Amino acid sequence: MENRSYRALGLFFSLFWLFLCLFPLWWVFVTAFKPPLAVSQGATYLPFIDFQPTLQAFRDAFSGQRGDFLNPILSSVYVSITATALSVFLGSMAAYALVRFEFRVRLLSGVIFGIVAIGGFILLTSVYGMRVPYALVIVLVVGLPVAILANRLPLPGPVMTNQDVTFWFVSQRMFPPIVSAFAIFLLYSESNKVGLRLLDSFPGLVLAYTAFGLPFAIWLMRDFFQTVPIEVEEAAQVDDIGRMRIFFQIVLPMAKPGLVATAMIVLAFIWNEFLFALLLTSSKWQTLPILLAGQNSSRGDEWWAISVATLISIVPMIVVAAILGRMMRSGLLSGSIK
Amino acid sequence: MNAAAHSQDRIKHAFLWPAFLIVLLISLFPLIYALSVSFQTMRLVPPTPPRFVGVSNYADVLVSARFWGSVWTTAIIVFASVALQYVIGFALALALHHNVPGAALYRVTFLLPMFLAPVCVALIARMIFHPVVGPVNDLFTFLGAPNIPFLTQPKLALAVLVTIEVWQWTPFVVLLMLAGLQGLPAEVFEAARVDNIPAWRRFRDITFPMLLPLSVAVVFIRLIEGFKIIDTVFVLTGGGPGTSTETVTLYAYNEGFKKFNIGMTSALSFVFLVVIILFGTVYLAAAQRLTRKYA
Repeated sequence: MENRSYRALGLFFSLFWLFLCLFPLWWVFVTAFKPPLAVSQGATYLPFIDFQPTLQAFRDAFSGQRGDFLNPILSSVYVSITATALSVFLGSMAAYALVRFEFRVRLLSGVIFGIVAIGGFILLTSVYGMRVPYALVIVLVVGLPVAILANRLPLPGPVMTNQDVTFWFVSQRMFPPIVSAFAIFLLYSESNKVGLRLLDSFPGLVLAYTAFGLPFAIWLMRDFFQTVPIEVEEAAQVDDIGRMRIFFQIVLPMAKPGLVATAMIVLAFIWNEFLFALLLTSSKWQTLPILLAGQNSSRGDEWWAISVATLISIVPMIVVAAILGRMMRSGLLSGSIK
Repeated sequence: MNAAAHSQDRIKHAFLWPAFLIVLLISLFPLIYALSVSFQTMRLVPPTPPRFVGVSNYADVLVSARFWGSVWTTAIIVFASVALQYVIGFALALALHHNVPGAALYRVTFLLPMFLAPVCVALIARMIFHPVVGPVNDLFTFLGAPNIPFLTQPKLALAVLVTIEVWQWTPFVVLLMLAGLQGLPAEVFEAARVDNIPAWRRFRDITFPMLLPLSVAVVFIRLIEGFKIIDTVFVLTGGGPGTSTETVTLYAYNEGFKKFNIGMTSALSFVFLVVIILFGTVYLAAAQRLTRKYA
């Protein structure tokens, strides 16, 4: 008796939420097909009954008369696919290394790196007046080998292991992105000045988004690799097959569902990302979210046109959500919450 | 150890270093640069040569009423929306876990909002809450209420922002809490059912305490993610009316890209970073005490 009333409550609540989830999507979908009058004269809900649907808004959008639509869509597609592929590829390599090998990093050598890098950077830019990008390259080239050598020495202090390395990657995502986005903007504009074009360019955007996607990719792929049985790899090792071949020909194919799920999640993050694109692009490589954010001021109440643009951004993500939803049903994602 | 095994041990660096270098280059190095900029005055327009000014940028941030206003706005949006997300999300996860009719249909639909660009969601919200052509005001008119200017009154605009955040991010709570529920040992619940413990007490005494560590993590992730909010506000209100819905990230952006006050923006983002780290530490310490008390 009591159980049934809970079930009824649950059903009612689920249906209510289902309506709340779907109504806004229905609204943007039908608005894209509305003629201008059906928008401006108050709310209309049902096609063919409330208004006569038209494809005019789509035709306007793709004819390119009302501002450039195609270019932001294409740059969004290029940038998000390249950056997703790179971060999933490099991220799964790193995740595999973190699962199968042992890393030991002395905290002190990290501190030494920090001191050499920050001190050297301030010295080079403020005292010697060196350009920022050159100074960065120099401190990186000097600082890293010094830190690696220091790591070999029997220094005192705590030793960090794989857990800490993973945490370092993941913690990059905990920072408010304005800190790094703004810092990257400053760095990119400096490098533009010395002729290396990163601001408003494809490589610059891909680099930033790859770094943005890597922590997710490493975190998720680590869980997937932990479920891949080690015995197969050990058998291959006995046969003297190289680690790289083991990884690419045995491990990666076995982790394929994990790769797909990770790629979908990273793709969604990059496709929808706003702040980095806002700061790092100005005209040529503007992405879809930036175009959308400008719609309201450039078009005012032309909601049919805005809806078309919104739909273009939404539809790929509906496909992504559907794929992930199917994977979730098969229990794939439940492993990654631990 | 033979030679082959030794080289295989070294190959681990080839696996890890590309990812490490990219993250180091893109997140750590710009940070060092921004940190050094935050102690200088630097303007892009008109371009002035950078000058070392010590902590004066930080002092400017800390006495700025607009900064504290934006902190307050961000805090209201984040805490209100995360509380609602958690309650609604947990309830929906429970319903899905107990297989309400049509659960398969809800799963994909409930996930959907969090995969949409916040910019899109804000645009849709602008349409839906539009004073003249939006369906919400249409409903209010139908019910005999006056038209409500949702986006031009500070308190209502905040409420709309909270609504959007709840709409978009409740799915995240549903996803993780559902996975958590599915991972609970079935035997405990069987035993409780045999002992005829009512459903409400089963939830209060078994489900909730067992999922407390997960809840703490989920709420933490949502809070940290929530503090980053800019795109929704940027599109929905642009921080207005006035600066009444301006969040910290939006303020930092405006300071840097409308006033071109680079030093100040850098200082601002570092103050924000310190606030987040402090908050995270306090939250995790408090959460640890709470879980220990329950366990």
